Amino acid sequence: MKKKYALFPGCLMPTEQYAYELSIRETLPLLGVELVDVEGFSCCGEPMKSVNQLLTLYLSARNLAIAEKHHLDLFVPCAMCHLALTECQYILEKNPAMMERINGMLAAEDLKYTEKRHIAHTVDLLYDEIGIEKIKEQVKKPLHGLKIAAHYGCHILRPSEIGRIDDSENPQKIEAILKVLGAEPVNYPQKLDCCGAPLLTNLPESALTKTGQKLQAIQEQGIQAMVDVCPWCHKMFDSRQTKAGETVAAKLDVPVLYLTQLLGLAMGISSEKLGLELNLSPVQKLQEGGAK
Amino acid sequence: MSIIDLTSMGEPQSDLRKELNDRLTKLQDEISEYCFQCGKCTSGCEAHKLLELEPHKIVALLKRGLINELVNADVIWTCMTCLKCRERCPQRVAPVEILFALKNMAVASGKQIPGKYTGMLQSILSIGLIQDIQQTTTRSNKPVKRDELSLPPLSKPTDVAKFQAGIMKIAMEKV
Ligand code: SF4
Ligand code: SF4
Ligand code: SF4
Ligand code: SF4
Repeated sequence: MKKKYALFPGCLMPTEQYAYELSIRETLPLLGVELVDVEGFSCCGEPMKSVNQLLTLYLSARNLAIAEKHHLDLFVPCAMCHLALTECQYILEKNPAMMERINGMLAAEDLKYTEKRHIAHTVDLLYDEIGIEKIKEQVKKPLHGLKIAAHYGCHILRPSEIGRIDDSENPQKIEAILKVLGAEPVNYPQKLDCCGAPLLTNLPESALTKTGQKLQAIQEQGIQAMVDVCPWCHKMFDSRQTKAGETVAAKLDVPVLYLTQLLGLAMGISSEKLGLELNLSPVQKLQEGGAK
Repeated sequence: MSIIDLTSMGEPQSDLRKELNDRLTKLQDEISEYCFQCGKCTSGCEAHKLLELEPHKIVALLKRGLINELVNADVIWTCMTCLKCRERCPQRVAPVEILFALKNMAVASGKQIPGKYTGMLQSILSIGLIQDIQQTTTRSNKPVKRDELSLPPLSKPTDVAKFQAGIMKIAMEKV
């Protein structure tokens, strides 16, 4: 049976991190997922949490209410959006008074939040719903022992209290997916380190230092590439890699790909369709190395 | 509606401040009972080494009721929201949530909002998203925009006036 989801794009993926969206739209339908484009979504509110948490809650509830109106579950590829929407559900379920208050505001757009929906992220969609077996059937060009570091991202792992996508201290789902693609996932001590993205708004130098430190550690361990699963993480590790290198006085040279891009390559999809030319990190190193 | 209503950079929002104050006082009571200053939150804090954030000290200061001092301290804006402190606290205290409440309070008290938060908020109010479609480049420096990539149109609020009316209720709501 086809799994049907509203694609919740958020802000960052559809306005600049095009490679994630391209690779999602190329790979997931081949794995039996139907993605529905829904009009009218807005920001999830997560970046406004420091300014006004009620605004965050409102924006998240608004998006959930739109999905509800279409009777759809949500596929949310951004780690930060996934946190905001999941947390909103958690809060509203526990706090009926707050739900009423939010619904009072949502009435301005003829929207109403009433019930929980399933909110999937890329990693649990691939691992738990599609499943390793089904992915295996689609692998046409295995990645021949390519050594890869997985970056999960803080916001899909914590807080586990509200239900997150993998174990908060020892996540292994991305590794399992990498293995079935023929790659060799590497466990590295910095795996749970943050990319720094949330500080990009007010302390960009420090944000990029976090990014640089993690990439430097990966480079020094001789790991060939990194995969990530969030447009914010990718903006830091890929789009800003050169700048991040400057903050730690290192020449960084680590290919960084979205997991869905690597998946697509292993499925035999062309690098053009997966938006690989949009990665600013040296991903051509991998293609030269045989993982075409 | 203007951004002032939401962030109250002009006139401090007394209702919002009262609500936040109640929340902080409640947090203070809870913490006094639970936090035993083990320091586990600080040992794993992503902003500790780099920016000298010490979540256990934030908790200790709140415990002593020093809300004003905390609200005015720049260090509350160094949290990366990695959520490790909340995840690992043996007493289920969540320093990250205290920091969010303190930052909200700083904004509601009319303190200057650091960085690009104001710009982001303005963008959300006008188009529903933190930014509009950006031009990016390929590795070989070729400019690329969304519509050249055969991607469907951007999903964003269709009736901006109604969208703003919803948000406006947050600014005007009496608690
Ligand atoms: S997390 Fe970011 S990108 Fe995702 S919707 Fe929220 S603001 Fe936009
Ligand atoms: S690693 Fe960075 S962007 Fe990614 S989830 Fe954590 S904070 Fe968010
Ligand atoms: S980990 Fe928890 S109990 Fe320990 S100091 Fe931090 S807040 Fe207090
Ligand atoms: S959420 Fe903030 S305070 Fe807590 S550990 Fe992470 S950076 Fe430190």
